[in-house]
Amino acid sequence: MRLSISPSDPAATRHEGALAKGLRLTASDRPGVAQPVPVRDIPARPWVRMGAIAFCIVTLLLCAWEWNARTNIGLRAGDLDDSPQSWAEQRRIASTAPIAIVGDSRILFDTDLDRFEQLTGIRPVQVSHVGTNARPLLEHFANDPKFKGLLIVGLADTMYFGMPVIGLGGEAVHNFHKNGKPSQLTGLWIDRFLQRHIAFLDSEYRLSTQVKQVDTGWRHGADSPYEDVWKLAEVSDGRQYFMWDRIETDPYLRGHARHAWDGFKGPPVPPRLSEWVIARSAEAVRRIRARGGDVVFVRPPSSSQLRVNEEQRIPRVRGWDRLLKGTSAVGVHIDDLAQAQHLILPEWSHLTRRCATVFTDAYVRRLAEQTSRIKLRPDAPPPLNSKDCVAPPSRQVAAR
Amino acid sequence: MIFNSLTFIVFFVIVLALHNGPFSWRQKKINLLVASYLFYAAWNPPFVILLWVSTVVDWWAAQWMVRSKRERTRKAWMLISVVVNLGMLGYFKYGDFLMQNFVTVMGSIGVIYQPPPWDIVLPVGISFYTFATLSYTLDVYLRRSKPAGSFLNYALFVTFFPHLVAGPIMRPTELVPQFDEPRRATAHQLFFGLALLTLGLFQKVVIADGFLAPVVEAVYDAQGKVPGMLDSWTATLAFAGQIFCDFAGYSTSAIGVALCLGFAMPDNFRFPYGAVGFSDFWRRWHITLSSWLRDYLYIPLGGNRHGTARTYAALMGTMLLGGLWHGANWTFVVWGGLHGLYLSAERWLRSRFAGFKPGAITLFSLAILTFVLINVTWVFFRAKTFGEAGTILTGMAGLAAKPDPLIAAGPMIIALTIVAAIFGTHWAMRETTLEAVIERTPSVVLGSIWTLMLFAVVIEQGQGSAFIYFAF
Repeated sequence: MRLSISPSDPAATRHEGALAKGLRLTASDRPGVAQPVPVRDIPARPWVRMGAIAFCIVTLLLCAWEWNARTNIGLRAGDLDDSPQSWAEQRRIASTAPIAIVGDSRILFDTDLDRFEQLTGIRPVQVSHVGTNARPLLEHFANDPKFKGLLIVGLADTMYFGMPVIGLGGEAVHNFHKNGKPSQLTGLWIDRFLQRHIAFLDSEYRLSTQVKQVDTGWRHGADSPYEDVWKLAEVSDGRQYFMWDRIETDPYLRGHARHAWDGFKGPPVPPRLSEWVIARSAEAVRRIRARGGDVVFVRPPSSSQLRVNEEQRIPRVRGWDRLLKGTSAVGVHIDDLAQAQHLILPEWSHLTRRCATVFTDAYVRRLAEQTSRIKLRPDAPPPLNSKDCVAPPSRQVAAR
Repeated sequence: MIFNSLTFIVFFVIVLALHNGPFSWRQKKINLLVASYLFYAAWNPPFVILLWVSTVVDWWAAQWMVRSKRERTRKAWMLISVVVNLGMLGYFKYGDFLMQNFVTVMGSIGVIYQPPPWDIVLPVGISFYTFATLSYTLDVYLRRSKPAGSFLNYALFVTFFPHLVAGPIMRPTELVPQFDEPRRATAHQLFFGLALLTLGLFQKVVIADGFLAPVVEAVYDAQGKVPGMLDSWTATLAFAGQIFCDFAGYSTSAIGVALCLGFAMPDNFRFPYGAVGFSDFWRRWHITLSSWLRDYLYIPLGGNRHGTARTYAALMGTMLLGGLWHGANWTFVVWGGLHGLYLSAERWLRSRFAGFKPGAITLFSLAILTFVLINVTWVFFRAKTFGEAGTILTGMAGLAAKPDPLIAAGPMIIALTIVAAIFGTHWAMRETTLEAVIERTPSVVLGSIWTLMLFAVVIEQGQGSAFIYFAF
């Protein structure tokens, strides 16, 4: 049986002229005339039965896929993907927030927002971004007349002083106004709802990504998918990033992550570039202060394997120290936090979940000594130290 | 709102429920009209005003054209419609382009002029609905059709969400009559529509975005790298596959969505990479645009009725403007110009070798040649600048000095396999339709393919990336 949705006689309208079976005319066959109502053939197949069976099988396949994601890959429901829309959402909130955090992936992974709130009573808005130079983010706040709070700028030296391009954070800034459309916001809400219940909805483990990761560098000289950064983090509400447990426990994934950093090697940062960055930063800080806000800098840890290369490319004295002097800002460098030494960085660049809490505890306490904009609560929990990286810290793990 | 988004799934379920609810036909049309405005406003609410302006102006222009007894008055109303529609399109889409070219020209004669930044956002789909609504007044002016019987039907024709933002570019005579009587999909139509929607999303989410786009980007977006012959050809072939799966995926989804509601939309693609020659290609690629350009540009420019020279001039003019329709950049003009040259050369060859009847092998060879030459044009379509296009073309010609390997082996193998499959499928199906092939395919095979496509769409997840043609 053939069906047609044409209102007129199907036999008269379906195939105009002497066309072979299966062909139908289109507008390209009828020049210079008013085009008639199109006719769509409905192939005589048991569509309802096929659709119902397909739906059932897909449901079963998805259950199997979900089981695989949870048991073999180690994904969890509630791990919310980050996205440009999610970043833009936090960026909008940050405009009127008392404290916001910008920077690269280190301050993003290494800040425990719950701990910050427990210590100060204020939950900062996390606007840092992976794969970026923090400066475009700092300047974005400098250009935001509504922002009058404290901006914590986290930086990795080579990214901040020597990154010639603006990175993914710069792209996020560039596309900020494009990422708040009504359909995107509703999509974000629905996506979050689904991700709270379904583990396989993880952009790092979509079908094409998994297929491509089979290539472990087959073509010499070309950047294979093995060179990309794979899944490193779990993300929860408010863009709270923490290192994914499997990086700590799986030697293959940990080794891959270390490989992807390539030791942060590279040529030394030209003094002209670092001085230009400092001058731009100083101007941004000046503008934020001019309207009543303030800026502090934080330098999270990196492992000795990376640190040696980072120091070679931009020594602390030429980068960090000059930045604080040039911006007249206060800052907390990991080297100066005695209680946050010997923290665990499984893939050399980011802290474990527990160590992130220890580091947050240490740098927030130090900032509270340096700026009046951060005050410790009278009932703040006791300080942590590197031993708490191994044993669960008393309060926040239970709370999470 | 885009078809490959979670928001659309929720939206579509609600629209389907309302369309099958216990409402009068008029109420259902009002529901569809409101839903279509929501569909458009979900992207950028203020631009709904442009839709209203276009709708109201063209409605009244057509009304007054019919009421006018004097030819000059009719022409005046037609011109008002053309100026308003093309004026909006020109302002939003070509304003910056014109300003940049003006600055360049002035600079070349020593006049330095620095205009303020042109911070105008391009309303999504403006090229599509402008052409759709223009065809209404032009058809009435040319006395090819009568004006719509009701404003509601006409407004719904302009805004009907399946075709609103990226086509197929519908003519009023194709859609307005469908609003005259109640329409509701049968179970077969509904499920076949869902199957088409699955196919379209599979093409877009899995093939175009998942597997082909990264290969294209690895070469076309590789700043400062020099691609060699293998990388340049692979990336360009991958783009040929990507642009087809992206755009044909949208059209297939749109046709499927409309079918679920009980409406018929025209074919927009007919296995274009199986084309033999460029006139054949343009009868298969973006059919609703090429036929629009033919009916409202090529034929009014004289078509083939005024001698050889005028025909070639009309052909080139049409294709150059067709290129510019795709984007405000000279690279698109060159893309259109190349197609104009191809069509002109083919026309000359056909007149020179009028009795030539190719055999099967020759025909297949000509199809490959057509595909290769079309790929050359895609370089200008994808490249953002002529410098970038030159780099890729140099690589394709094997003339790149010290090329860098840019595409990893795995993605390259996958991309080339997909493109070969697309080309093979188009060649095999060039004389038939999807529906005819489906009808003679066993249900078990069809159901399995449907299942796998749907499963792949869900586990690929998609990034909600916009369709390429949204920008046009």
